Amino acid sequence: MKGIFFRPFFFLLVPLIFLSCTEELDFDQFDDLSVTPTLASGLFYLESTEEFINTVNVSGVFYEQTFNFDPFNEQFVAERLLEGTLSYEIENTTSKRITLFIEFLDEADTVLDTESFTVDPAPSGTLTREVAYGPAGRNIDILTTTSSLRVTGGNLSDTTSTSSESEPKIILRSAAEFLFRLK
Amino acid sequence: MRLGKLFFGAAFFGVISLCAQNKQLLYDFYEIPQSLMINPGVKTLEKWHTGIPVISGLSFQAATSGVTVHDLFADDGIDFTTKVRERVLDAMSRKDDFSTTSQIEGFNVGFRGKNRPDDYYSFGMYGETDIIVYWPRDLAILAFEGNGGANIGRSFDLGDLSLRGEMVNVFHFGINRKLSNTLTVGARAKLYSSIFQFQSTGNSGSFITTQGQNNIYTSRIEANMRLRTAGADEIIDILEEDTSTTQKDLTSLFTKRVLLGGNLGVGFDAGFSYNLNPQTTITASVLDVGFIYHSKDVRNFTLKGSAITEGITVFLPEDINDVDNDLWQELVDDIEASLPYEENDNGYISLRPIKAYGSIRYDFGQAEDRIENCGCGINVKEASNPDLYRNSVGGQLFLQYRPRGIQPALTAFYQKRLGRAFSFKTTYTVDKYSLSNVGLGLNFQAGPVNFYVMGDNLLGYQNIADSHYASLQFGFNIISWNDN
Repeated sequence: MKGIFFRPFFFLLVPLIFLSCTEELDFDQFDDLSVTPTLASGLFYLESTEEFINTVNVSGVFYEQTFNFDPFNEQFVAERLLEGTLSYEIENTTSKRITLFIEFLDEADTVLDTESFTVDPAPSGTLTREVAYGPAGRNIDILTTTSSLRVTGGNLSDTTSTSSESEPKIILRSAAEFLFRLK
Repeated sequence: MRLGKLFFGAAFFGVISLCAQNKQLLYDFYEIPQSLMINPGVKTLEKWHTGIPVISGLSFQAATSGVTVHDLFADDGIDFTTKVRERVLDAMSRKDDFSTTSQIEGFNVGFRGKNRPDDYYSFGMYGETDIIVYWPRDLAILAFEGNGGANIGRSFDLGDLSLRGEMVNVFHFGINRKLSNTLTVGARAKLYSSIFQFQSTGNSGSFITTQGQNNIYTSRIEANMRLRTAGADEIIDILEEDTSTTQKDLTSLFTKRVLLGGNLGVGFDAGFSYNLNPQTTITASVLDVGFIYHSKDVRNFTLKGSAITEGITVFLPEDINDVDNDLWQELVDDIEASLPYEENDNGYISLRPIKAYGSIRYDFGQAEDRIENCGCGINVKEASNPDLYRNSVGGQLFLQYRPRGIQPALTAFYQKRLGRAFSFKTTYTVDKYSLSNVGLGLNFQAGPVNFYVMGDNLLGYQNIADSHYASLQFGFNIISWNDN
């Protein structure tokens, strides 16, 4: 009776056990896995017509607004943010010399950092700037503690001139491209 | 959070189990009673049989069409992240899958009708776990590389997410009838008692970041995604309770659901064997044509809609009076409103993974003596019993309905019978998992005791961690071939 149970194992399972083998495996390697995606997104877009700028006479400031901006200080993001770049593009087709300020504020409205731009009247082309954060740039904590942005647009010229360009505007574009550590 | 856990659970089960469910070695191996379970119309020679409870039929099968354990975890000095990138991200496609099927028979009994010896009745109960996880290629690349850098302009296919799994207990009753000397047919009714089920199939959508129309970048997402679960919530709740009664509670819950206390369904199997001539037989079967209706412990998750964003946008003078300082939160709210993530407990129907077999067998060699008084109905009237040829060769086809279509496997086999006491079957199978799958099944009969054991892809045992496919089946039965 024992043979009934023994033979099958002898014929198949035992050879399999002896023949089966596996090269040395190291499952601890999983700890070395590095997952660092680069995420990109548009951030803030401001567009103003020259006609509107000419309607604002008070101290030359045609736009000022503070708004909440906390994508980087969410705990999940802040803990994983490694480095990155904020990109700005400014296109001025107005007849004005324009200044733009972007201030990074923490929860107490303390200014952590300021990005300022001054662009000449058209034709002045497109001003581009890339600001690095992280080991090779500004302190990444500026972003992870930023709770709001204050954007200010000022007119450094008169309020009567008009550009010969069609649909003259001042345009601010911005985007973020950041490296995160997911694992 | 719970959605994430469910996804993780699904992926975890799928990845560690790595299985598929072709039983080409057992198919048409009619000396083994369990062959009735994959073709209810197989030829039956028994007077009666009973499986030894719990160990009458166990099968575990594993396969991966993509990366193997060895590919990733071999101690080869290569940086692990590099291996993941080269051997998983760059090499695997959305058609690759990890899948698992395991079956454990609770009991299996068969007997020949006293008044209708042409009929062989069988019934029993078995538990089955079946999980398949397709490699979510684009989602993995998105997680690994992100949408920035070189991926600006790349469209990520959200439809790459496709998975399905369930644990179910099956009660069955089958009738096998020899209609004539050449034709045997059979059918089996099944009652399914679901323990848990989840599926996320038929998803569609995309995510892309491109140069913006106004701003530097614009991101667009379109999604029609759904994850349905039934039976998972209560299990997770028990596990999360982390009390001293966890094991007891789980046992109680599983017992209840095994014994028809969960979501229920019905289905059937059918099959036949037909002798084209005394030495040539064709067979076919279709299994698990059925469904389960899930109404208890249901939790579904949906993500449906579309959103496009270039970030916060301010147009002057139009927006000069919009002095709200919640612009960012409004942007987030707008996206969530356009692309709502919702949960519901609507009942749903899940179809069982239908499987079909077909085969042609040619018997040859010196015929064995016929079995005296085998109780085989029409068989006993035969002058010679074609079931007892010493050798058989043939081919088999296996088809299985999967979330991404029909998955075929083609098998060539050779079967040898050395008297009633011993027979073996060897197979060569080609499918998406392996082109070198050689299997061997052994069947032993000593008096009334029957034992069978079958192993697949034996060449893979040279380095099991590098194998794309592995399976093992075995079981014990008590068989009566005689009237007494």
